[in-house]
Amino acid sequence: MTNPILELSGVSTAVEGFEVTRDLDLTVGRGEAVGLVGRNGAGKTTTFRGIMGLAEVRSGSIRFDGTELTSLPADRIPGLGVGYQPEDRKLFTGMTVDENFRLPVWTAGDERGIEDEDEVVEGVYDLFEELSDRRDAEVQHLSGGQAKMVAIGRALAIQPDLLLLDEPLEGLAPFIVKNLKEHVRTINDQGISVLIAESNVTHVPDVVDRIYVIERGEIVDSGDPEVLAEKPEIRELMQGSGQYEG
Amino acid sequence: MVALENVAIHTLNGVQYGFVLFLIASGLTIILGILDVLNLAHGELFALGAYVTSSLVGALVGAAFTPDSGLGFLLVVLAGSALAAAVLVPVGLFLEAVLLRPIYERDEVYQLVLTFALLLVIKDAIKYVWGPKPVRLEGVYSGINALATVSIAGRTFPTYKLLIIVVGAAVTVGLFYFFERTKTGRIVRATAIDREMATAIGVDVDRTFTLVFAMGAFFAGFAGAMALPPTQAHLEMGADPLVLSFVVIVIGGLGSLRGAFVGALLVGVLTRWATWLYPAMELAAPFAIMAVVLLVKPEGLFGSWGERA
Repeated sequence: MTNPILELSGVSTAVEGFEVTRDLDLTVGRGEAVGLVGRNGAGKTTTFRGIMGLAEVRSGSIRFDGTELTSLPADRIPGLGVGYQPEDRKLFTGMTVDENFRLPVWTAGDERGIEDEDEVVEGVYDLFEELSDRRDAEVQHLSGGQAKMVAIGRALAIQPDLLLLDEPLEGLAPFIVKNLKEHVRTINDQGISVLIAESNVTHVPDVVDRIYVIERGEIVDSGDPEVLAEKPEIRELMQGSGQYEG
Repeated sequence: MVALENVAIHTLNGVQYGFVLFLIASGLTIILGILDVLNLAHGELFALGAYVTSSLVGALVGAAFTPDSGLGFLLVVLAGSALAAAVLVPVGLFLEAVLLRPIYERDEVYQLVLTFALLLVIKDAIKYVWGPKPVRLEGVYSGINALATVSIAGRTFPTYKLLIIVVGAAVTVGLFYFFERTKTGRIVRATAIDREMATAIGVDVDRTFTLVFAMGAFFAGFAGAMALPPTQAHLEMGADPLVLSFVVIVIGGLGSLRGAFVGALLVGVLTRWATWLYPAMELAAPFAIMAVVLLVKPEGLFGSWGERA
């Protein structure tokens, strides 16, 4: 792939001294939607945290739009254009939906060249219309689906070039999953590159262009999502009953 | 029969005492709630504020005002106190950036040992600069006593105490406005709620922590500065405010600014009532209030940032 927006080469990450991912290679093209699929504990979240500078990267290179991220302080990464929705949402409780959307604009808006804060925030409400009349609600009072939308909306508020979504569909009712998938497709259609971590392989084929399969910290397969989703060994792997044989 | 005017005047005394406690405790609880550091040297920052005030206000009053110049005199005392507190800001910046930052990831025992060591170092520094004897601002002291009192419910009330209430109320409003309404205040709150997620949206957590610690040092110094003029600065003056600040923030809920405000006023008013009605209870009153609150609500009256501070 020429000139990818995100390129991981030989990345090994660790948590509390224990190696989680080994020699991981992954790329996301400009405007592309890519899935990182694997069981719980396979290393998806740690990979995302490594990209965001929140987990120890022991070796390898993580380049975003030509900039090496591993040598940067973590708080500089959002300003480059990487939005992050963590697996457990990590909303700023005690604060309103609106405050959660505005905070990233205040912290990274200058680097992102954002001049009109209200315009950006209203753009997020346009995408997640369900949140428009909840803007003054404190986030701990939201439903699970709404909370996921706030987490994604907060990541979008820096007007990112790359959006990292860690298990955005997990634990949600089917009709909300369908709704959120449409939102993700809309985001991607706007030209924002998306990397989605997902443990349910059946969730991603209609959202992403390519998937990587991660198992025990290593990429074990990659390719067309619909083809891989039909592979019996992938399905078994996702159900936790199989060993991937390649 | 308890006269109503006595109730009013002792309540007002309690409110004034409560605001002094809040000024001290606000810094302690902000630092605890956001940096997760229990600063044992906080009382010495209070003392340092008082000592710096003794030099600054003494010089200002001596140079420009006579103690009988009324409102102008009070404004000079207030400006001197704010200046003295401002001196605490670089002290706070240094303590956080150089000494505390390297040990955040370590066990809390390291923080306690370090801040206790700071308590001793600051006390020795005060002794070195101002000497071991208490410092009284004679001119300011007599000036404050010479100020006309105000009449409240048919009783007289010292003007300086009224000034402390007004300033305390203004600081309270300012602090809540800062944390609830300003961008920087809300970024600080977000950092307190989840420092890793704050980093992930672009917050420079190191810089935020330095700002917060300097702010805490400022308010400790300001409390010392405001509390000094009617009394005297002495080497042991940091101990009681530290202990009472702990009582206040335990009552209010560790790390809660709202809790510190309610806790300080509760301790202030009830302690003054106890001193009036049962003088033997003066020292025990704050701890008795704390014990009752802990029995009813062990986590304190309010939650920390993120739990609705």
